[in-house]
Amino acid sequence: MDMQFSGEFSVARSKEEVFAMLADPQQFAPLLPGYHSMEMKDARTAKIRARVGIGRIGGLATTELSLVEAQAPHRARYTGRGKLMQGVYRMHTAFDLHDTTDGGARISWQGKAELTGKILSLAGGGIRGYAEKQITRLIASLETALSSAPEPEPAAPGGWLGRALYGLSDVSATEARIEPQVAPTPDLQAQRAAANQRIQALLEAPRAQVKPARREDERLIKGKGLFVDDYSPAGLLHLSVLRAPYAHARIVNIDVSKAQALPGVACTLTGKEIMELTDPFIQIGAGATQQITDYALATDKVIYQGDPVVAVVAESVAIAEDALQLVDVEYEPLEVVLDAEDALTDRVALHEETGTNTIFSGVYEYGDLEQAFADAAHIVKIDRLEFHRFGSTALEPSACVATWDPRGEIDLFANTIMTVPLAFLAPALRVRMDQIRLRTHDIGGSFGNKITNYPYLTLCCLASRKMNGAPVKWIETRTGQMLTGGHGSERIYLDTEVALDRNGVITGLRSKHIDDIGAYPRYEPLGSVIWSQVLPATYKLRNIRIDFNQVVTNKGPSAPNRGYSRLPHIWFMERVVDICGHELGIPADQMRLNNYIGEFPYETPNGCVYDSGDLPAMLAKAKELVGWDAWQKKQAEARGEGRLLGIGIGTTLDSGTNNWGQARYVNPQAPFSGNSTAATVKLDLDGTVVVSLGTFPQGQGHETTAAQVVGKVLGLPPELVQVKTGFDSLNDSHTGQSGTYASQFVVTGLSAAHGAALKLKAELTKLACFGLDAAAEDLEFGVGDMGPQVSVRGTEQALNYWMLANFINSNSASLPDELRDLSLHARHVYMPPFKVPDVEKKIGNLTLTYALQLHICVIEVNPDTFQTKILDYAIVDDCGTVINPMIVEGQVHGAAAHGIGAALLEEIAYDREGNAISGSFTDYAPITINAMPELKCANRQSPSPFTFHGAKGMGEGGGGPLHSVCAALQDALHGQDLIIRHSHNSPMVMFDRFAGGTEKGVTVESR
Amino acid sequence: MPETLPTAAVRVTVNGKPCERQVEPRQLLVEFIREELRLTGTHIGCDTSFCGACTVLLDGAPVKSCTLLAVQADGAELTTVEALEQDGQVHPLQQAFSEQHGLQCGYCTPGMFMSSLALLAEHPEPSPQDIRKALSGNLCRCTGYQNIIKSVQTAATLLRQEG
Ligand code: FES
Ligand code: FES
Repeated sequence: MDMQFSGEFSVARSKEEVFAMLADPQQFAPLLPGYHSMEMKDARTAKIRARVGIGRIGGLATTELSLVEAQAPHRARYTGRGKLMQGVYRMHTAFDLHDTTDGGARISWQGKAELTGKILSLAGGGIRGYAEKQITRLIASLETALSSAPEPEPAAPGGWLGRALYGLSDVSATEARIEPQVAPTPDLQAQRAAANQRIQALLEAPRAQVKPARREDERLIKGKGLFVDDYSPAGLLHLSVLRAPYAHARIVNIDVSKAQALPGVACTLTGKEIMELTDPFIQIGAGATQQITDYALATDKVIYQGDPVVAVVAESVAIAEDALQLVDVEYEPLEVVLDAEDALTDRVALHEETGTNTIFSGVYEYGDLEQAFADAAHIVKIDRLEFHRFGSTALEPSACVATWDPRGEIDLFANTIMTVPLAFLAPALRVRMDQIRLRTHDIGGSFGNKITNYPYLTLCCLASRKMNGAPVKWIETRTGQMLTGGHGSERIYLDTEVALDRNGVITGLRSKHIDDIGAYPRYEPLGSVIWSQVLPATYKLRNIRIDFNQVVTNKGPSAPNRGYSRLPHIWFMERVVDICGHELGIPADQMRLNNYIGEFPYETPNGCVYDSGDLPAMLAKAKELVGWDAWQKKQAEARGEGRLLGIGIGTTLDSGTNNWGQARYVNPQAPFSGNSTAATVKLDLDGTVVVSLGTFPQGQGHETTAAQVVGKVLGLPPELVQVKTGFDSLNDSHTGQSGTYASQFVVTGLSAAHGAALKLKAELTKLACFGLDAAAEDLEFGVGDMGPQVSVRGTEQALNYWMLANFINSNSASLPDELRDLSLHARHVYMPPFKVPDVEKKIGNLTLTYALQLHICVIEVNPDTFQTKILDYAIVDDCGTVINPMIVEGQVHGAAAHGIGAALLEEIAYDREGNAISGSFTDYAPITINAMPELKCANRQSPSPFTFHGAKGMGEGGGGPLHSVCAALQDALHGQDLIIRHSHNSPMVMFDRFAGGTEKGVTVESR
Repeated sequence: MPETLPTAAVRVTVNGKPCERQVEPRQLLVEFIREELRLTGTHIGCDTSFCGACTVLLDGAPVKSCTLLAVQADGAELTTVEALEQDGQVHPLQQAFSEQHGLQCGYCTPGMFMSSLALLAEHPEPSPQDIRKALSGNLCRCTGYQNIIKSVQTAATLLRQEG
């Protein structure tokens, strides 16, 4: 590319003076925009260093500038040259001087720049304008210099050789520098220095040796956690995924040749190859669902926007991402199905191999509906309620590093959260499970979502095998996560009918529910039964019929999400109770008291046993916390002023510890029932107590609580109990149902650890009886001068753990025969006392514990903007005996934030073509610190009769705010003849409710 | 091997230590910190400037290091979470977060620390409102923020007592 410029200007100086300046490289060069420094090669040639570049990023480029012609005092001409990025530039510039009539000089100038090479493709068409600007600057500084004493130009962006120079000097001579858009003023510099100093001063604060409140904190507060992305073994390759731009399209052709040719690319994977190398993932559902072929990459068609189509493996993420741009995929778009009711018609089937979009369809019916409706004093009908799609979106995306060594062993370092994915992964990869070492370390949150990241784990394994065992890392991008990394399912509730007696006590309920699970079932259709763990929510009605359907649509595949399946159901029940109260004019608190379950344990109509609790007491406590009476008064005032202020109650259940037998409701052949979780406690060679768990903790502090429980059994302070971080299948402390899900660790994980500790204690007792020649009842477990020990009560006699360990590990010859079957490596599998449920009648105890939470929300709606503001918020929780109050309260807060976020801000949304319109955090609007009200929390403890310590799982929280916020909004709408029918109430939804003229959607028949 | 891309020199002082690396001009500051310097305490949660997990201090000011190029930090002083612990002893800010349970999974925590440090440098006695403002660019998906606010208040108290 050649560029030419010319022009002229006059100055009030003589030709001679002007010439003297122009023909002296030492005076001329500093006028160049971006001038940095120079060095004279000879009298006529200067090596100039100037800043070049676009915007804020630039470099110092070296240019050789020679004065090639000097005819005093008429003409001066320079040439310059430099190199960069396989490109070369040359410039010529000439100045011709003329006398003016007033004794000054007129300077006419010409400039020419030639650019060749790669720079052109990089800088593109913008070069010309940029070069012009730089020339203008040069001329302006010449004019200034000639009309006054020359001054070196302060750092200005870019160099004259301008665009000319962008990328045009020698690579080796290039050093990048920050090119601040605005050169820092001395003021700014001083400010920065001062800020730095203040930080330094803070950093110099005296340190202390502090015992962290949790085990995990020890490393996490120091930035020393080991998250998957922190693990980078030598020879690491990186996998990136090309995702479908369409919600539904046939794949006509895939061409990866250009991507493969890009230097630095190791290999690619496409659906065709995946079909050869793997078997489809197993399906949990029955019937047609079994025919679904789900692979790690799309094969013949894509069925949601974001469906992975091609994987590229390269030496760096950047190269892999570049290579994705070079993949050509030809698609033939197909009709999309985005609505659950539409999906039910099978007008378009997503999984053509099955011919239907229905994944599950079944009726859950209990009691005598006919009678209940015949006897009803009021029948309330609600045409439609909607629970929206959102995700708890952990801050750390899904990730793994897979190494499939040529000997056939797979090392999988991942942030998956249960062993179930192993059951998907191993058969798909056609390997035995023992070939996979699955391990986790620190996990940056999951909330259920990471259960379904196994397709990507599969890809990394295959890529590693293809690359002869090189480790392959995949880190999900945030956009990838938002498109596909775990959405909670949507649910709609149609034609709900509620029978009530004269006092507003609900006596019967029937409704049709459709779950929209997105494109692939994966963990589904388990959600088609899991909701029934909380069938009547916290209410005493006995007659219930729910027609439950689950369908696939062209949206991201769903995954279990905090409160999985139960939360949407409890929300529905809460809306029903609240709307009925609203319609019948029964105050919200009275409506609850009329309907709450009274005595615990309580067996629900479908055979679940709610273990313990006192709902009226919780309500009373929550009312006191929030200042119920005061808010009632303020509400009356607000209403008088036309303000929309509402107070809402949400009562919720967190059912924990699944009976996997419920899976048989969706697939009678499912080989699951009960629940089992393992843990091991051993004495290491030196006598250290080492616990390994079958859980995959993600912030719930399992190391801390397990150390507490095991320490208590052995009479040791928790610091003397080591708990292995994360999961490792080599620890052999897992079962097929191990994992961190369904609010169960406190029951399953701790029971397993407790059981293993008891077993170890029994072995230690035997050894100590032998070693100390004492009776078991005289022994005491504790800590002595030589660490953990067993002693004879009331004497000095003791053996410490090292000595006891030594009997088994290094000093066994003296042991009597009857002690030779000890191992000091105790493994316990905890199995709660579940029975297989009655699949025909859908009756059985589906979960072991039920934690309760009661939320009260006070909210105000701005009648002009429909923005909402939470004015007060109270939570009372009851999760039985509390093992670690700090951790429990942390879980309460976290679950509340997710609920408030979902109720008011967060939504995974699609447009009519199935384009995801919440593909980033910015669009999704996860709740920030500003939107979070201050929570007033209190706790009640009703110990569970079913667990060894009376504790109940409580991590999922039951989504209390979705219930309380919706109830508060309903209350704020008092007198508006509208119902809150959506779980998501952004200002837009609220506006639609008010202004959209949608029908009220509720009728009441009273007799 | 990929064809050699041009590289640029970046000289920074990180947690008091001068460092110099030749990097690709397109390298993000967070990649520079994590990959080149192997300081993996700074995390990536969104790479799109929303979550603040990648927050570090650049010349004393909190910046989202996924939103700057490494070359833009040339000449600057950087502070990361690794600056807080010294000789196995923790800074009052770390102590406070642990005591008040201001972290669960710990993924957001390094970013929270850096934003809090910048706040405390300006406001030794921040109000809850000041804290909310200073941390409004830092997402936490675990704690619900309440204990984070408490943690920063506690840190301020500890620092004042010691200062
Ligand atoms: S990673 Fe930088 S803001 Fe999220
Ligand atoms: S502690 Fe997990 S994101 Fe904040």
